[in-house]
Amino acid sequence: MKKRGIGIGSMYYGLGYGYSRPDIASATIELCEDGSLIVRTGAVDFGQGSDTLFCQIVAEELGVAPDDIQIVTPDTATTPDAGPTSASRVAYVGGNAVLNATLALKQTLHGVAESILGEKNLVFINREVRAETSGKWISFTDLARACHLRGAQIVETGWFNNTTDDVDPYTAQGDAYATYCWATQLAEVEVDTETGKVEVLRVVAAHDVGRALNPSMVEAQIEGGVVMGIGYALTEEIKQKKGYTPKISLGEYMIPTSLDVPSIESCIVEIPVSTGPYGAKGVGEPALIPTAPAILNAICDAIGIRITELPANPRNLHRLIQEKGKKTMGPEN
Amino acid sequence: MQNFSFYSPASLEDALIYLSDHAETCKIIAGGTDLIPNLRDEKLHPRHMLNVLELEELGGISEIENTIRIGPTTTFAELIETALINRFLPLLVKSSSQVGGPQIRNRGTIGGNICTGSPAADVLPAVIALDGELELRSKKNGTRRIAASEAVQAPYNPNLGPDELLTGIFIHKLKPGTRCAYEKVATRNAMARAFMNLSIVLQRDEEGVISDVRIVPGAMMAFARRITVAEEVLAGKKPDEFLIAKAAETLLGDLKGVWIPDYKIPVFRNIFKRLLGELLSESCRNKERVYAD
Amino acid sequence: MQIDENKTLLRMCVNGNQVAVAVKPTWTLLRVLREELGLTGTKKGCEQGDCGACTVIMNGKAVNACLVLALQAESKEIETIEGLGTSDKLHPLQESFIKNGAVQCGFCTPGTLMSAAAFLRETPNPKIDEIKRAISGNLCRCTGYVKIIDAIEKASK
Repeated sequence: MKKRGIGIGSMYYGLGYGYSRPDIASATIELCEDGSLIVRTGAVDFGQGSDTLFCQIVAEELGVAPDDIQIVTPDTATTPDAGPTSASRVAYVGGNAVLNATLALKQTLHGVAESILGEKNLVFINREVRAETSGKWISFTDLARACHLRGAQIVETGWFNNTTDDVDPYTAQGDAYATYCWATQLAEVEVDTETGKVEVLRVVAAHDVGRALNPSMVEAQIEGGVVMGIGYALTEEIKQKKGYTPKISLGEYMIPTSLDVPSIESCIVEIPVSTGPYGAKGVGEPALIPTAPAILNAICDAIGIRITELPANPRNLHRLIQEKGKKTMGPEN
Repeated sequence: MQNFSFYSPASLEDALIYLSDHAETCKIIAGGTDLIPNLRDEKLHPRHMLNVLELEELGGISEIENTIRIGPTTTFAELIETALINRFLPLLVKSSSQVGGPQIRNRGTIGGNICTGSPAADVLPAVIALDGELELRSKKNGTRRIAASEAVQAPYNPNLGPDELLTGIFIHKLKPGTRCAYEKVATRNAMARAFMNLSIVLQRDEEGVISDVRIVPGAMMAFARRITVAEEVLAGKKPDEFLIAKAAETLLGDLKGVWIPDYKIPVFRNIFKRLLGELLSESCRNKERVYAD
Repeated sequence: MQIDENKTLLRMCVNGNQVAVAVKPTWTLLRVLREELGLTGTKKGCEQGDCGACTVIMNGKAVNACLVLALQAESKEIETIEGLGTSDKLHPLQESFIKNGAVQCGFCTPGTLMSAAAFLRETPNPKIDEIKRAISGNLCRCTGYVKIIDAIEKASK
């Protein structure tokens, strides 16, 4: 028999390392004579898109095109430390560092443009620096050249410190994390009570990311996290033997394939946080966290069984279904 | 991998000679989808590798009156795409569709699925349910035929002589009106080893009496075979839910050495009842089930 | 052609170019592509045929290069990711993957693109379920497959 159920999982997640653990990022930005820019930071983009994000931040502030910006990949010889890519921190901590570096450079550029144009209220847009009132303008390239000729400060460092105070070990009061991410996911499942197999039919994921600086990338994180959560809930299993993890292959450790994924709808919720770059927070780990609870709650809704051990793979779930069946049948059976 | 010498014969004759000369130390490779992981895991240490994949004599699908001949190097993808198989042996299409993923189906062969002798084979049980016959050849002993059900009677130990090559798979076309179904239970929907699979071929006369039924569970025991005692419960009768239940219990009683029985036995009972029930239902036009109508 | 007691000459066509390379019989096509021909776009994931990161197109069919013994590729036509498109002229699938956010860490991407390319040649107007099935032999941990499926569908139009 196939039974359907819907479940909800909610989570909040402290972004960064928290608990007074060092959590900083640095970045430098250099203005080249031709108006192109080089950002150097130790932040690692392993596919989540932080390089793209940094490009967007610089382009946004300086009015240049992404193609004008080079992001130098982490290199201990040439890039300042930005900490690891973990704890869903790179957009927030790394992004702030890049933003701060960019704002410092912008101030220098503003000063030089002011002296050239004789105007104070300037906007950086479309590779130009333009006076709002008079319409006088200078191209970004010309401005860059001028900065070089005048010996202006063309390399700036930006830094952001996300290190919090600590939490009192006795009262548990204090400042664990600087900011939190919030999410709720809904999962609809179909349980085959005869085999124990669960199909996830649909997941709807609402994530407060502060500000979605790149909505497509935020969706991509949510989708990836949800599918990871499905595997965590339903199929992934490692059995340690005497404390050792045995050698296990991708044929035995089952992660979801394309035929195992449901329709996934992302709802991006934006409640900007004042400390984040343009109000942004993070989404990397939050994407994964509510999924298994939502699925387990959906299974409970479908067949009335509370699961307390993962994975709820066909064998494990079927055993629970059988046990429940024996209990409800009563002694006369 | 330990070193071996690799030989691609120009003809079947050359292959048989090579196999005869190196019988004890030779492994045969077709698609390699089972063989190569085993070589890499150091489970096998051949000194000679006979590549049969290119031999024309071992490929192809042809029709000889009422029989279909399938070359053992036919890939799962080829079986799925061939009109003859879809029309007359749809059980092979359904079972082949459940193997691995597209890349595996493009390389893995029906001959390999038979000769590897894995207890979890996806397609061999279907060949058994179709009463397939296997043609074997060796240089010393010439040609012989065995029933597909005799091919594997111990895990990873096919009943082929060390110098024998599988050269053809012969299956009678299913009669019009025959229904067949295949189900595989696994942890995920692709790239998964079966917990169990089940092949059923069923024929009924105009009054709804079962005239022919073949039931082959796979991945349930050390090797796949027809469960004739269950078939006998159903044959010649007009089925109802009591008969199906009786057949299910008879079937389960005949299964020997089932691994993880507390999961597999009850699930298999459910799968059998479900599959048979669907095959018997008049309105059963579920596209998941295949027909030779 | 036997070169010495250890190696045989393998001749095949890779991305339209005839190549000849000395191989040991135990080598797989994957090893030859990466180590002998320097075509490292094809990735080594599991070497067991379980992940699809090593997918190439051989005589028109998507296969796991780790499950092809090198000498089995004799006289075959192999297409790798390097042959699908160049940075000057991307294949429509590559463009679609970039445009639709289907690439994150990129490790599964070459294999997935080759599976998709082989698939779209046979099924130029696919349904979503067909696309899902076509890439079911390519594991991805980053994307959850959603944008990959979307990118393939959009490329097919």
